[in-house]
Amino acid sequence: MSASVSNPSFHSDSSALALRRTIVSTAGWIACGIGLVLIIFPLLDIVGVVAFNGIAAINWDLFTKNTGGAGLGMANAIEGTFIITIFAMLIAVPVGVGAGIYLSEYGKNKTGSIIRFLSDVLTGTPSIVLGYFSYIVFIISFGWGFSLAAAAITIAILIVPYLARITELALQQVPNTMREAAFALGGTDATVVFKVILPAASSGVITGALLALAISVGETAPLIYTAGWSDYTWSGRFTHSPVAYLTYVIWTFIDQPDPHSHALAYAAAFLVMLVVLAINIGVRMTVKRGVK
Amino acid sequence: MKIRPFRLTVLGLSLLIPAALVAVVLFLVGYSGQAIAFNGFHFLTDVTWNLGDLYDDPVTVRGIQVPSGAEYGILVFIVGTLASSAIAILIAVPLSVGTAIFLAEAVPELERSARRSLPWLPPIRPALAMLVELVAVVPSVVFGLWGIVVLVPFLGHHISPTGNGYGLLAASIVLALMITPIIASTLYDALCQVPKENRESAFALGSTHFEVVTKAMMPMVRATLIGGIVLALGRALGETMAVLMVSGGGINILPTSLFSPISTIASFIVSQLDSAESDPTNMSVRALSQIALVLFIITLAVNAGAKLLSSGALNVRKRQ
Amino acid sequence: MPERGNTPLSEQGSLPELNQRNANVMNLSKLLRAGIAALAITAAAGTAHAQTDVPLIESGSSLLYPLFNLWVGSYTAANPNADITTTSTGSGAGIAQSIEGLVQIGASDAYLSDTMKAKHASMLSIPLAISSQAVNYNLPGVASGLKLSGPILAGIYEGKITQWNDPAIAAANPGVALPAHTIVPIHRLDGSGDTFIFTQYLSASDAGWASSLHYGTAVSWPAVAGAVGAKGNSGMLTALQNNPYGIAYIGISFADKVAAAGLGQAALLNKDGNYVLPTQENIAAAANSVANSTPADGRVSMIFSAGANNYPIVNYEYAIVNSQQPAPAISQAIRNFLNWTVTEGNSPTYLNKVHFLPLPPAVATLSQAQINSIQ
Repeated sequence: MSASVSNPSFHSDSSALALRRTIVSTAGWIACGIGLVLIIFPLLDIVGVVAFNGIAAINWDLFTKNTGGAGLGMANAIEGTFIITIFAMLIAVPVGVGAGIYLSEYGKNKTGSIIRFLSDVLTGTPSIVLGYFSYIVFIISFGWGFSLAAAAITIAILIVPYLARITELALQQVPNTMREAAFALGGTDATVVFKVILPAASSGVITGALLALAISVGETAPLIYTAGWSDYTWSGRFTHSPVAYLTYVIWTFIDQPDPHSHALAYAAAFLVMLVVLAINIGVRMTVKRGVK
Repeated sequence: MKIRPFRLTVLGLSLLIPAALVAVVLFLVGYSGQAIAFNGFHFLTDVTWNLGDLYDDPVTVRGIQVPSGAEYGILVFIVGTLASSAIAILIAVPLSVGTAIFLAEAVPELERSARRSLPWLPPIRPALAMLVELVAVVPSVVFGLWGIVVLVPFLGHHISPTGNGYGLLAASIVLALMITPIIASTLYDALCQVPKENRESAFALGSTHFEVVTKAMMPMVRATLIGGIVLALGRALGETMAVLMVSGGGINILPTSLFSPISTIASFIVSQLDSAESDPTNMSVRALSQIALVLFIITLAVNAGAKLLSSGALNVRKRQ
Repeated sequence: MPERGNTPLSEQGSLPELNQRNANVMNLSKLLRAGIAALAITAAAGTAHAQTDVPLIESGSSLLYPLFNLWVGSYTAANPNADITTTSTGSGAGIAQSIEGLVQIGASDAYLSDTMKAKHASMLSIPLAISSQAVNYNLPGVASGLKLSGPILAGIYEGKITQWNDPAIAAANPGVALPAHTIVPIHRLDGSGDTFIFTQYLSASDAGWASSLHYGTAVSWPAVAGAVGAKGNSGMLTALQNNPYGIAYIGISFADKVAAAGLGQAALLNKDGNYVLPTQENIAAAANSVANSTPADGRVSMIFSAGANNYPIVNYEYAIVNSQQPAPAISQAIRNFLNWTVTEGNSPTYLNKVHFLPLPPAVATLSQAQINSIQ
């Protein structure tokens, strides 16, 4: 439809009213445009500041040396973030995808809606509450100390609801005809899901996994009191051994007065932003939106 | 009843989610029990947070062992949380509404005119919409970093009367930036789905384009907008790291101006947990657990409200 | 919708679209898989690091942190198998985490309280070095060396003295042009040994503070409009730089950075009635006057000691360690490192960089006795 109506053609109306309407409309558009600028500009500024300072700090040492007190490299933090994320996903993906399968395929009942509701509540829980819970329960009561196990479990609890919801939405996209055909061919529940429906919805599920990965790379508050901090790469132990992670570097090293620590903080921020933005942009560009 | 192992397995997996939630809630309630008994209602109304004299002998009050002089009041943090979130919403709503309207209605027109002279222009609107969404995925700690190195010095040098940029305004601005995309994206989606007939009839009646948007389209998406705002509020209330880094760490005093240092509930838990651990009676840790419980209840209430509002609004967006 | 980002899935389902989307995402995930494989190889290479000693974690005092980093750097250079992680979390955290067994060495400017010592009898407070604390201010136009007393500082932090040109401050500083501006008191947010020694000074010299606020790693700071809370000594420095007319208590190990930032250092009133700066001699005077009365368990306050030139805020830096460790290898590693710190680590090479003083020989012996009791 032609939207080329700009100048109001109300001739006989009082031209004062016409003028006022024009002014209000133009001012309105300008205000809206300013709104758009005011939200995009900080994003570009953040990316710019982090990229500029982060790239300046990148050197080969970052990936080969550990932090060691006042900061030489961040190999331990990079590896630590990676390890925590991998193990969190190892826990969260089976549970989340399984939950998504249940909710989509068999969960159109009261149980399903209760699970959905509670899953939403879990999404809205502040991450520090989960971190506090893990600290008192796993670190202190269970006696694990700062540990990979506690960190991975906490992050897993954080991301499972997202995985479940996105998997459910993805599975919903698959047309019912496929399900009926699969069952008609004599497939069991498991075969229908794993061989027919899940592959068809794989784009959505992988999207969900990638988004969950992006979330876990950027988390800080739940890790402060569960993963602790270590100046060394992962010792291989799941308990009684703290793990380094990149967001700690950002949070702590920016406060230290020496420029070397500052450089590390920016480099860590750059790496985290790189991963998070790469995943989110990649996902959004390969999976086209349904609306224009 | 046939036993279907596969269905039972996935049911079992999905039950782990409510189980985790129930575990967290039960823990919070159980662990705070003693603190709740000791604090009573004063917890929510008292301005003073006093861990007591940790280097003196503990005393027993009403049968509970606490450090001498201990007094746990979180009004300062509740006010800090509500104030920063409220101001964040005040900033975010005009920004988001303006962004959504501009993206949904003005950008296509601008694109069309631009494409007449530059036909090779790639699609701008999806790119801009994506940029707005990307603001929401920036990790909280990176927002905090930007806040410390860019925003706080800017506020300190140019806006603050005292020269100090940390405080309520810095925290609110950072929160506003984090929640604007939530409202903007939801509103943008809704605006794009307003039926064409509404737009066309408004144009036919002689409205300017802006009037079409404000008078014919916005009222239709009001419920979605409110749902999005409440959802954004839920996110703002639970934000931890960014606020911790720019809020200035106020304690025992209610904020009096935009530049007063504040603490929010979430940032306070992070900064106090280690001090609380040095309390031999363990009451401070339990008081922190009570704070976490309060935060949980507040965010639960707000998110439940958001769901109620948007479950009505989502009817607009059903498949047609 | 998820709060952390919208789900970009379309509302309409149809097979061709699904296939196209699957193809797109498959390409993306192939790329990601390659990336993950590359990272995995790197991680594996990293994990296969050389066989090291028992890993030790130190956490706690931000005042001791700069020195601890110097120590660990040298110790690891001399003992390449050593595996010691240092973190600056505040003395409160250091004490708490050491008691919980989360870390092996808790660094703290504050010794354990009687109650804590009674509750956790196996915890040791081992003096490692002698440190001190300065009171710094951000007053453009006022030179360093402003005279301040415990009662004045108590008044500032209680909100009773609000202006820099208050009569009490003017009386202590005749001839100094003080600005008519509101004071911004800056205090520590986290459980802090610096807070401990600062409030011990206030309690010792001001009866009002002693009765109402006492001392500790965390105190209930009185309500003062505009008072700022900061995390760690580095946070205190940043906050002071950002707050003109501010006042903060900052550990001596940050004195060089404070001076480089152009901030002033106060001369504090000591017990004998003299205003003294935290110079090497004045700190040594205070330490020596208390050294002989250091008990075997190391827990003694050197605050506000009697002596003409004694600087009033002087303290031992403690390693809070559990004398019962879970394994002999761990206790061996701890003993080796801590013995090194109180002998070779106490040399001017390290201490001068942070303006600390070495332990008097008698105290070093006491510390070593405590260290050797770690099983």
